[in-house]
Amino acid sequence: MLVLVPPEIALDDVAPAADVTVETTNALLLRVATGDQRAFSELYDLIAPRMLGLVRHVLRDHSQSEEVVQEVLLEVWQTAPRFDPNKGKAVTWMLTMAHRRAIDRVRSAQSSRDRDTKIGIRDLDREYDSVAESVEIRIEHDRVEKALGRLTELQRQAVELAYYGGYSHSEVSEMLGVPMGTVKTRLRDGMMRLREELGVAS
Amino acid sequence: MSQHDSDANTNDTMNDDPMTDERFADVQAALGLAVPPVTPSAGLKASVMEAIARTPQVAPLAAVTPIATVAPVVADAPAEAPRGSAAARAEARWFSRPAMLVTAAAAAVALFFGGVAAAGVIAPGAPSSTDQLAAIVAAPDVSTVVSPVAGGATATLVSSESVGLSAMVFDGLEPLSDDERYALWYITDGVPTPAGLFAVDGDGAVVQVLEGAFQAGTVVGVTVEPASGSPAPTTDPIVAIATA
Repeated sequence: MLVLVPPEIALDDVAPAADVTVETTNALLLRVATGDQRAFSELYDLIAPRMLGLVRHVLRDHSQSEEVVQEVLLEVWQTAPRFDPNKGKAVTWMLTMAHRRAIDRVRSAQSSRDRDTKIGIRDLDREYDSVAESVEIRIEHDRVEKALGRLTELQRQAVELAYYGGYSHSEVSEMLGVPMGTVKTRLRDGMMRLREELGVAS
Repeated sequence: MSQHDSDANTNDTMNDDPMTDERFADVQAALGLAVPPVTPSAGLKASVMEAIARTPQVAPLAAVTPIATVAPVVADAPAEAPRGSAAARAEARWFSRPAMLVTAAAAAVALFFGGVAAAGVIAPGAPSSTDQLAAIVAAPDVSTVVSPVAGGATATLVSSESVGLSAMVFDGLEPLSDDERYALWYITDGVPTPAGLFAVDGDGAVVQVLEGAFQAGTVVGVTVEPASGSPAPTTDPIVAIATA
């Protein structure tokens, strides 16, 4: 049986980039929940580039990724009244939605099966070279990169393939040449380790 | 379990996957935020703002989002029907076995889910069913039940007894071959009545107002049938939803 890390080590400690602070996005989403379209416009400016960054990282195709982001944002608008700040953070809630949709999309597309197996294990750093970004984003990126570096090689590869590549357990198992049970264990251990590293590091 | 089994279940076994498991939401978000942001094209904001302006929001929830679960369809015959007759076999059909359907209690909880989720995916070009759907959603006794569909899609039954209509809203439904259709059924006391056939295209988003009168307590089922239709379901349902 797994022992989960206590919930107090949460995104607060993980400290997202300054432009998408927990406070700002929570406050905006709560206004959106009342039907405030201007608040939604502000929220869009903050979150859409983050969503698109993540979704495109998984899907690779820009126009498909924009489609997915549009769907997710519409879902954010529709379901904002159900967002409960006591149960989680707006950033987490919205990015999770985007990530799930991206994974659904990548898994439903047959062509995704032909994706280069290396896509999922690309080094995030390489993408940074061509992207202008704020210092805060860079710091957050470095923190996660560093935390990923503390995982075992197999944990890191499994987490990157599954999270960034959207690959299923069986696909990851095939790519890494390890049994499915091992993949599941590595993924879970890797995520718990990441939580520890990100929580402790702040 | 083969790898194929595991693939097919991906959407149903979220908690088995740390990449979508809510308990790891904080780590997932951190991984997500570590990706460099990408500036969306200029048109995206305009089209999102335009879309939200005509999309209603769901009602706030008092409790946790209720997702009514349909028990898996089982092939074995019920224990109390060892008669081996055609009648017994008929009774063994999915639509006459209420135990495997969504419970009325789950349906009642789901009432608060709000019918407005339906309005967001109305396909263009269906004005008359849009009017009917609007009537259902606007009814004081509107009831909404959300249920997962075999294969990873979602079905939402929106119904109103006072209006006497119900509609099924699907998201992510798989397209069928040309000679097949999805068939809707009203099942009352184990007796199925055809309530319309439909097909889906690319995005799998469909709103379908059921033909015939809706009564509370009825079960709404969906099967895959020949394009010409069937007098009674010939396959197991991809989803079946009981109403309170």
